[in-house]
Amino acid sequence: MAVISETAIRPVVRKPIDWWRWAGRAFLTFLLLFTVLPMAWMVLTSVKSQFAAMQYPPQWWPAEPTLNNYFKLLDPNSRVGQDFLRYFWNSFYVSLVTTILGVVVAVPAAYAFSRFRFPGRNFMFFAVLVRNMFPAVVFLMPLFLLMRWMGLVNTHGSLILTYLTFGLPLSIWLLKGFYDNIPIQLEQAARIDGATRFQAFLLIVMPLSTPGIIATSIFSFIGAWNEYVYAYTFLSRDSQMTLPVGIQRFFTEFATDWPGLMAATFMMSVPVVVLFLVLQKYFVRALTEGAVKH
Amino acid sequence: MSIATGRATAPLAAGTTRKRAGILSRIIAHRTDYLYVLPALIVMLVVIAFPIYYTIELSFFRTPPNLQMRDKIWTGLSNYSTVLNSSVFHEVTIQTIIWTIASTVFAFLLGLGAALALHREFAGRGLLRALLLIPYVISAVAASYVWKWLYHSDFGVIGAISVALGITDEPINFLDNRQTVLASLIVVNIWKEFSFAMVMLMAGLQTVPDQLHRAAQVDGANTWDRFWHVTVPHLKGVSMVTILLLMVANFNSFIIPFVMTGGGPADASHIWITHIYQLAFGRQQWGVASAYAVILFIVMMTFGYFYVKALTRGDETRAGD
Repeated sequence: MAVISETAIRPVVRKPIDWWRWAGRAFLTFLLLFTVLPMAWMVLTSVKSQFAAMQYPPQWWPAEPTLNNYFKLLDPNSRVGQDFLRYFWNSFYVSLVTTILGVVVAVPAAYAFSRFRFPGRNFMFFAVLVRNMFPAVVFLMPLFLLMRWMGLVNTHGSLILTYLTFGLPLSIWLLKGFYDNIPIQLEQAARIDGATRFQAFLLIVMPLSTPGIIATSIFSFIGAWNEYVYAYTFLSRDSQMTLPVGIQRFFTEFATDWPGLMAATFMMSVPVVVLFLVLQKYFVRALTEGAVKH
Repeated sequence: MSIATGRATAPLAAGTTRKRAGILSRIIAHRTDYLYVLPALIVMLVVIAFPIYYTIELSFFRTPPNLQMRDKIWTGLSNYSTVLNSSVFHEVTIQTIIWTIASTVFAFLLGLGAALALHREFAGRGLLRALLLIPYVISAVAASYVWKWLYHSDFGVIGAISVALGITDEPINFLDNRQTVLASLIVVNIWKEFSFAMVMLMAGLQTVPDQLHRAAQVDGANTWDRFWHVTVPHLKGVSMVTILLLMVANFNSFIIPFVMTGGGPADASHIWITHIYQLAFGRQQWGVASAYAVILFIVMMTFGYFYVKALTRGDETRAGD
């Protein structure tokens, strides 16, 4: 379409066609369809009744769109609604506490790794980084025994503690990158003016590293919100479950209610997608920090 | 600890003692520095050092299924030979390699193409980048359910489309078929993570100086030549880190195969991680699963060496000491 109108307005072709640019556009269109169509089908299914969804050939466009699946999830008086809202709150609570504790623990550690040269620094830093290499499943069994020994099985404490550790390496790494970029002279000036080292850290460095703290927090929150393996293993009591584990339980009890499941999947994705869209700049910066030297 | 090493080194040259005293005094001089790192270290020790130690210990024992670890029996290396000699292990190893390599290669290539196409400024570029990133942000559980529904053997939309377009006569059973299951899951994995490679490479492209491109253009280089001789050399570093991170993530993935197929049918979509989980929490073979996990540790440490090396490139020169 665009081609036709453009040539119609400017019939004189000044340049030969840039094939690379057109190949790029075609490729992007393909990727966009590949990315968006599955999500679109999720949304389209979520506004169908179960009867409308289980048809062959499928209703490409819902004949009688309904928001019933969403009403059911958000209705605090129905059983499904009660469960869903409780799982939602559990996920939110666990993710928020993990994020706050993670920042409190990671900020001083990252600052120390960036500024101080104490013996054992390199070893500790590598140990922290290497943690990122190991899959959750390898730690599951001993952690399960450890949590049982500490009496934390079936509590949110077990999740917060484990999420904290798998979030920490990344948080420390990201924040260290931010601290490396803050000139040390600022602190030195504050020290000369009579501030203690801790005051200089708290009053000069902390405010300057706010973007880093925001970026780190987004990562911790999204990581905790999406986590499945530990939650699946540590929690067996219904009232404690987080969303990723919870939704499979109430929609697959008898036969899978696919429209209901798609509505729940959509609701589960909304918070992280909104968080990502609002704070996209920080998210992308955090993702590439350290890998790309500007 | 320090006393023991002190005794051992005492008969040696006096220089050693002076050096040791140097380290001790440096530790004492830096003692407040450790306070900053201490909270992180404590958390890491409890939740990492203990599990690693415990996994290694358990791998030498035959363990009762009920997790009453008092009743475990020493069996030496027999758990290791059980793992290494099982035919399922060989099959799963090949699947793990296919899963890791195929996911990494395709995610990287799609990401590279997207980064190059998005490098030029145009209206809607930011929106497009955001849309492409959504699969990376949402939970793998959500992605698994959505794709399980797309692949559904009776009502799945992919099967219906392939029939409507005349590609197949009847809907394909993607997930219940040993031939197609692994490839189907790899597609989901690529869908989920290619935009990570895209973002990394977009950041990498920004480091390519514009002057070089213009200079090459003045010298008469065409688009391909400029890509190959100007862009590619500048992307080498970030590409290495991206590929390494993708490899580690793919080697460690669990949710997509576990939620979508549980490793089936007949183990055809198991990878190491899901297989270990099944041995431990499905069959309660804790000792065998631990030995399996230790083998995985060893492979990961090899990855880890390159990972840390790639990530800390430049850090050492900055550190100085």
